[in-house]
Amino acid sequence: MRETPLIGPYDVDDVLAWDQEGPRTVRRFLADAASLAESLPDRSTALNLATNRYEFLVGFAAAIMRRQVTLLPQSRASETLLRIAGEFPGSYALTDRGDAIEGIDSVSIQPRGDQALWPMDIPRIPPDRVVAVAFTSGSTGRPVPNKKTWGALTAVAQATGARLGIKAGDRLSVVATVPHQHMFGLEASVMLPIMHGLAMHAGRPLFPADIRAVLADAAGRWMLVTTPLHLRACVSESISIPPGGLILSATAPLPRNLAQQAEEHFQAEVHEIFGFAEAGSIAERRTVDGDRWQPLKGVQVAQNASSCLVQAWYLPTPVPVPDRITVDTDGTFVVHGREADQVNVAGHRISLGDLNQLLLKIDGVQDGVFFLPDEGAGLVTRLMAFVVAPGKTSEEIQRKLRAYVDPVFIPRPLVCVPSLPRNATGKLPRESVSELARQWLEREGDGA
Amino acid sequence: MEQSGASLFERDLARLIVQTLKLKTDPAVIEPEAALFGEGLGLDSIDALELSLAISQTYGYQLKSSDPQIKTIFSSLRALAAAIEKNRTK
Repeated sequence: MRETPLIGPYDVDDVLAWDQEGPRTVRRFLADAASLAESLPDRSTALNLATNRYEFLVGFAAAIMRRQVTLLPQSRASETLLRIAGEFPGSYALTDRGDAIEGIDSVSIQPRGDQALWPMDIPRIPPDRVVAVAFTSGSTGRPVPNKKTWGALTAVAQATGARLGIKAGDRLSVVATVPHQHMFGLEASVMLPIMHGLAMHAGRPLFPADIRAVLADAAGRWMLVTTPLHLRACVSESISIPPGGLILSATAPLPRNLAQQAEEHFQAEVHEIFGFAEAGSIAERRTVDGDRWQPLKGVQVAQNASSCLVQAWYLPTPVPVPDRITVDTDGTFVVHGREADQVNVAGHRISLGDLNQLLLKIDGVQDGVFFLPDEGAGLVTRLMAFVVAPGKTSEEIQRKLRAYVDPVFIPRPLVCVPSLPRNATGKLPRESVSELARQWLEREGDGA
Repeated sequence: MEQSGASLFERDLARLIVQTLKLKTDPAVIEPEAALFGEGLGLDSIDALELSLAISQTYGYQLKSSDPQIKTIFSSLRALAAAIEKNRTK
């Protein structure tokens, strides 16, 4: 298969990234990546922890130039990083300035801002080369690796751009509120821009006022890569931004009325991506047009008796869809919900069974169970947990958990109880846990 | 020790934080100088977002993380209270 270039249709002086420190041109990016590549240690895997999107890209490109694989940890929990480094011996960490990770060799990404001598060769990469590994949460806290080839990343970026009507030379300015170590963030806020010659914002605005400021400052038409959570915050604050942009949301289903409000208020089209770390983005829809998901070009979703599988030329084997879906004869599909054991908190997916296993590994915890209550009024519905751990406080257990899981999964509240309502066979029926939660919320829930 | 000299406004804000984020903590025991994020109350960026909406609705002050002072503002109940009192519009 043919090698393809690291970046798409840019001129050398086009802006590839910008933030309050000013623009970074393509010329400068290539120089930064080449100079970092020269100074990287001779290893095969690098954990890229950069929080700045431009510096992340410089690190990613430098690793590719050195034929190293970039590891994308889902969270910065110390235990998670050490486990990943343990699974890929010899890994080192690429970090933002002054950031050191205990127990892992760290190299700081310090773009020097030299100007490349032109002409310079743009690196070309074979599509079957593994360039990144994304992780999903596995049982006993062991992150499960998902290998990503250059072909998979570029194919998804091209197919997403084609579906959204983005053409080479459109010069959209892409702003993202999602982390680039998350699969959707990597695909939509890093790969999509560099494959289409677009400019990316190097930061990650959080508050509605930040999003407003960055979009107001963006050159030309903007594209916002975000989540239902951030979108709800922007709508609720009624921020005013230049009309005519493009909003791309993923990580959790976007309620249709929220999409409608966002389209009207921001005079922008709202599209959604459906995907998961194992397969990447697989389908798209414009939320106000209906429930059906259109697979991206090159993706087929097939329904078997027991499960649904995603196929694409760039996936070495078909990948099971972690949600319950129904596929129509035309290949479009409807998502009904998660498989029983899976929960999604603020865009992060994990199995409740795996979380329960983690809980039981903590010293002094005799029994414990996680529970996801029905959606409440807040932006995010948090997990709760009931734990039997005589002599321990909920704060102690929460602190221990923090080393193993992303902060979004820390149960709130974590309730210490004398025992769990297990039945005669030792099983803990979901209804009993749900009843326990209901009683607790009734007793302590509201503004106690 | 409780309250450790929290002002009336700091206590109001502590109540808003506990209510908004549905914490188990008693608002009266939040130390005005203790960290709100990471260690301390253990809040994360989603909490920051939820809190920013509640602060905007209650006090008419829109937080910005590009504000060079943001780390200081969010460092403790006292710092957050001081920033709100300075910038509030209602």
